[in-house]
Amino acid sequence: MKQFKLNYILFALAITAVFSSCSKNDDINPDFQENGPGLFILSEGLFNANNSSLTYYNYAARVTVADKFKLRNGRGLGDTGNDAGVYGSKMYIVVNGSNTVEVVNAQSAISIKQISFTNGATGRQPRYVVFNKNKAYVSSYDGTVAVIDTASLAVEKYITVGRNPERMAVANGKLYVANSGGLDYPNYDKTVSVVDLTTLTETKKITVTANPRGVYADQYGDVYILSSGNYADVAPAMAIIDSKTDAVTKTFADFSASGMAINGDVAYIIGNSYDANFNSVAFVKLFNVKTETITSEKFITDGTAIVTPYGINVDPASGEVFVTDAKNYTTNGTVFCFGSNGVKKYSLTTGINPNNVVFINK
Amino acid sequence: MSFPGMGQSPVKKTLKEVKIKGQTVTRQSIAPSQKVNSSDFKRYAANNVADAIRNLSGVNIKDYGGIGGLKTVSVRSLGANHTGVFYDGIQMNDAQNGQVDLGKLSLNNLEEIVLYNGQPDVITLPARAYASASVLMIKPSKPIVSLQKPTQLTIGIKTGSFGLLEPMLQLDQAINRKWSFKVNTFNTHANGRYKYKVEGDGSAEKVERKNTDIDAFQTDAAVYYTDRDSSNFSIRGNYYKSERGLPGAVVFYNDYAAQRLWNEDVFVQSTYEKKWRNSLQLLLNTKLSQSYTRYLDPDYLNIQGELDQRYKQKEYYLSAAVSYRPLEALEVSYAADAAVNQLKTNLYQFAYPTRLTVLQVIAGKYTFGRSKLQANLLHTAINEWVENGKGAPSKSILSPTLMYSVEPFESSGLQLRAFYKDIFRNPTFNDLYYTRLGTVNLKPEYVKQYNVGAKLSKTYTGRLTYLTLTADAYYNHIKDKIIAVPNKDIFSWSMSNLGKVDVRGIDFSAKTKYQLTEKWAALFALNYTYQRAVDKTNSQSSVYMDQIPYTPEHTGALNAGVTNATIGIFFNHILSSNRYYLSENLPEYKVPGFSVSDASLSWMFKFSGLPVSSSFEVNNVFNTNYAFIRSFPMPGRSVRVSLKVTI
Repeated sequence: MKQFKLNYILFALAITAVFSSCSKNDDINPDFQENGPGLFILSEGLFNANNSSLTYYNYAARVTVADKFKLRNGRGLGDTGNDAGVYGSKMYIVVNGSNTVEVVNAQSAISIKQISFTNGATGRQPRYVVFNKNKAYVSSYDGTVAVIDTASLAVEKYITVGRNPERMAVANGKLYVANSGGLDYPNYDKTVSVVDLTTLTETKKITVTANPRGVYADQYGDVYILSSGNYADVAPAMAIIDSKTDAVTKTFADFSASGMAINGDVAYIIGNSYDANFNSVAFVKLFNVKTETITSEKFITDGTAIVTPYGINVDPASGEVFVTDAKNYTTNGTVFCFGSNGVKKYSLTTGINPNNVVFINK
Repeated sequence: MSFPGMGQSPVKKTLKEVKIKGQTVTRQSIAPSQKVNSSDFKRYAANNVADAIRNLSGVNIKDYGGIGGLKTVSVRSLGANHTGVFYDGIQMNDAQNGQVDLGKLSLNNLEEIVLYNGQPDVITLPARAYASASVLMIKPSKPIVSLQKPTQLTIGIKTGSFGLLEPMLQLDQAINRKWSFKVNTFNTHANGRYKYKVEGDGSAEKVERKNTDIDAFQTDAAVYYTDRDSSNFSIRGNYYKSERGLPGAVVFYNDYAAQRLWNEDVFVQSTYEKKWRNSLQLLLNTKLSQSYTRYLDPDYLNIQGELDQRYKQKEYYLSAAVSYRPLEALEVSYAADAAVNQLKTNLYQFAYPTRLTVLQVIAGKYTFGRSKLQANLLHTAINEWVENGKGAPSKSILSPTLMYSVEPFESSGLQLRAFYKDIFRNPTFNDLYYTRLGTVNLKPEYVKQYNVGAKLSKTYTGRLTYLTLTADAYYNHIKDKIIAVPNKDIFSWSMSNLGKVDVRGIDFSAKTKYQLTEKWAALFALNYTYQRAVDKTNSQSSVYMDQIPYTPEHTGALNAGVTNATIGIFFNHILSSNRYYLSENLPEYKVPGFSVSDASLSWMFKFSGLPVSSSFEVNNVFNTNYAFIRSFPMPGRSVRVSLKVTI
């Protein structure tokens, strides 16, 4: 009983603390219960620390709630929320360490269903989610992509793909899955699985640079693959796959990037480069997907400093660009909101290792 | 209380009277030291070395919970790697992790454990005894036999919660006036299961900790030789083998755990000591050790479908120390140690490092009036060779220590003391070479310790038999601090270099005995520690001046009980204030403080004319839900019964 009370107080304090450390744009309101247009920020937390959280920011009230999931459900998201996405009225949160996908009401964050991602007792380790025609596709480290019906929320099938699949994208009625083989250091996978979305089977594997993790589709039917390389003799690279032919049309060798977000013709690319003294320098680059060239090495024009860019999202409605900063990976992070001109509009304090911003525009 | 010297002579024929000089009941060491002996083990309801020393001032236990859970000790916020653990005078060195799992060390064959802040004040010691910020001396018991009864066989059994079954066998044997030996062997078997409450996942019911079984076997055998000219020789062999499940962190919505850990450690060590009439003393030590560890994750999602890591460490160690008194008041010594450490693993592209460490120390101890001054200078030279990649650069480091104590008034039992010690810990093989995590250019972690304190130690002739009070204030400055936090499971670590840490603390202890009746006495001990250990790395950082992880500001321990010649009833209580599990001191990163009680009853009696020693212990009497390390819950109430009969 005492323990419960203590936790309750700690939780109340937690909300207050996050508010008090918010930037000047935000009001402090620990009891803020409104829904409405705003955004959710998913923070991974630390591995095995059960401290993944879902920060909510209300545009109109300019108020942040540190962990709306915990506030509304009386329990934590769990361990390592790796990805989140909205489809229809529901938000899907992929919780890697807890081996669950939490399906919640995209307004209230109230849980609708917790889908367990285990195979027998062993966790599948779900990683990412994408949507297409009333189905959610969830990649898992056990080499599968689960097909979830967005009405019944039942897992209808597990499609076998390559080793330790990461991000996915849909183009031309096909699902492209990056097979990283990330748990097989140094013997990484180097393929992208192509899944036919009518038959729900893998039809081919396209060879790319070792350790592919990022997959992003543009409006012209091109699929961008970010590979991390093997941290030794194989350098990171970006490949472009034409979804009409499933051939690699272009490869950018020695192209290091940790994430990408495409809005129209503009791809925003984040990562860290290293200077002559091996000091890490964060970057947000601009890439034109029509001309397939880098158009700017520096998106941020007002000197805003980001330590460790960890996630990037663009709100298609407003064109605002959100960069999450994981800092030193062990302290609370920050989300920066930029206008498309690269000037900071506001910033928000998040949980540890913020990786994703999800927009709720109604 | 057992007095120093008691039961230490291999042939107890010429046991001398132990003289208690002046008004003191314990020996006044120059730097703070705390002792726990075998009769205290029962008072503390302790099951292993970590339990036995958790009451001591300045000690912060990291216990991952359960019978097979890792248990390490950090003294005065310096981290487990700064405590040198010595077994029978020779260091138990782990070059891979730099930490000794005190949960693996059984109390079955131990006589006493002494914790020294700084270092012991005896100067005829291996150089390694000068080379850590604090020293934990674990002393196994010697054969307790006489020529009248040359053989003594002790059979024991321990059982209780966690499905514990631990049979023990001990043989003490006198061969002749000079030679004797002792063999102690036991097997611990337990399923380790216990219930705990998950906080924060919305569950109401307690669940059972899974994959907690342990099976451990240890044999410790030693042969002792004592000559009339007071030269001693001993050779000891120790073999430990275990298999255990690793329950891992409690992860919300997924409590499955199947990882396994195997250990097989063997060492042989010997000591030779000789004192000449002209005060020249010689101490030789040698040790060969090998430890093998296998870690298996049978569900790892790679091609093999499992992660199977194997590590084998070897150490070759030699030490020689000489001391001499050129004047009655002055003792000088020189010691040189050489150690070769190797680590082999099946990790991809592993470095396969070999390390040669040569330590040399000169020390002096000068007594003038009621003052004692001890000073030493330690030189450490470290060279490393690797088979793959780049090795760590050579290191050559000088480390001074200065200790002073004074009894300001004659026969007052009051001692004032101060010490300064400058020491470092070398990065471990894991710090340097762990595949993709290690950094070969890691700097050593330097610690400067400053301590001032007082000790009042008095004996009385009335009902109050003795009273000992100590108070020490200290300041530690840590430069280039490397903090290890477990991730995934307790066997995988990720390194975080916290840079600079300032520790300010106060240790307080009180110990007393009150004679209630002619037969019954009450014993009372209280320890308290205040520690403010703050991150001083970067004044721009959000963690600047925040308390470092897992460091409570207040810790306390209370032990009280009554005893007569055959029965002891004791109550033990430890408490800890809140800690943070991350370097950022936000309320959401708080791990709640706790307050946990233990109780014990011990009774010695004769059965069919044979002496029987029995005990009944209850840990966590009030079934408190608590954890030292977040996500690694501690067990609720548990009981343990032990019986030992000596033939």
